[in-house]
Amino acid sequence: MHENYKGGALTEVMFYVLLATFTPRHGYAIMQFIEEKTGGRLELGAGTLYGAINTLAKKQWIAPFGDDQGRKKAYQVTELGWNIAAQELQRLRDLAQIAGEIIGGDEHE
Amino acid sequence: MSKKCYRFFSGLLQTQTNWLNQMAAKGFRLVRTGKISYVFEECRAGEYQYCIEFIAEKSQQSAEQYKQFLEDMGYRVFYKNINLNYSIGKVRYRPWAEKGGRIATNATTFNKELLIVEKKNDGKPFELHTTYEDKIAYTKTMRNPWLIMALLFLILAIVQKLWPMGVIAVLLLIPVFLYQREIAKLSGQAKTREW
Repeated sequence: MHENYKGGALTEVMFYVLLATFTPRHGYAIMQFIEEKTGGRLELGAGTLYGAINTLAKKQWIAPFGDDQGRKKAYQVTELGWNIAAQELQRLRDLAQIAGEIIGGDEHE
Repeated sequence: MSKKCYRFFSGLLQTQTNWLNQMAAKGFRLVRTGKISYVFEECRAGEYQYCIEFIAEKSQQSAEQYKQFLEDMGYRVFYKNINLNYSIGKVRYRPWAEKGGRIATNATTFNKELLIVEKKNDGKPFELHTTYEDKIAYTKTMRNPWLIMALLFLILAIVQKLWPMGVIAVLLLIPVFLYQREIAKLSGQAKTREW
């Protein structure tokens, strides 16, 4: 479990899938969420999304939501996944700040 | 009106995909597949897009789960055989498959090596794998059966000192080489970008 807290960056795909499950969503809804939020910049293939969901579920960062009776399987972020997402947010803030200082154009902050 | 066509593409997955997409562009939608037959019905020209996925390394359960997932995404999915085989009670050993899928029989994953996936055309290219890492993993699953077969024939050629076996081994290495080149290209791109 501890290894999950260490280590570096999440991939963008994993982070977005994780964020999508802050509200319980099934595969298609996750795909739509990501497309909508990124304005179509990040479009996931169904096979890639399937792999990402399975990886996150195996790591227990997300878990199946609700009873298994529904035909479509929905997933929700776990506490562990929530912590990892929060940590990633902090990392990205730090990165954005440093990049802003160096590249500039961050005056509006 | 339905239309029946007979084709056999074997391991030429891209050729099969292109053909299905050409049929769709002409206004024919796939409704049924047989060993070498495809049944189409008429639709609006260009209404659908097709993609083919190699899934022979999957166990029956994970193949079924994956198919279900794709169907939940709103796609239509067909199983398709990659080889021609009319014998009954076929059992095949697949050392390159995942756990649970290494013994393929007619009752499980044999003759279900491919998934034909149909999507309503939205004007964008239809890809199932979009990140470099995932593309590399998928390309490896397509390379491995060729690699294992090539090695097997190579061992036969050396042990039995049969040069025709060696020729087959060299021929089998051609697809291995092509997939390997693709993997190398993707790996180069994956060094700096995720997708």
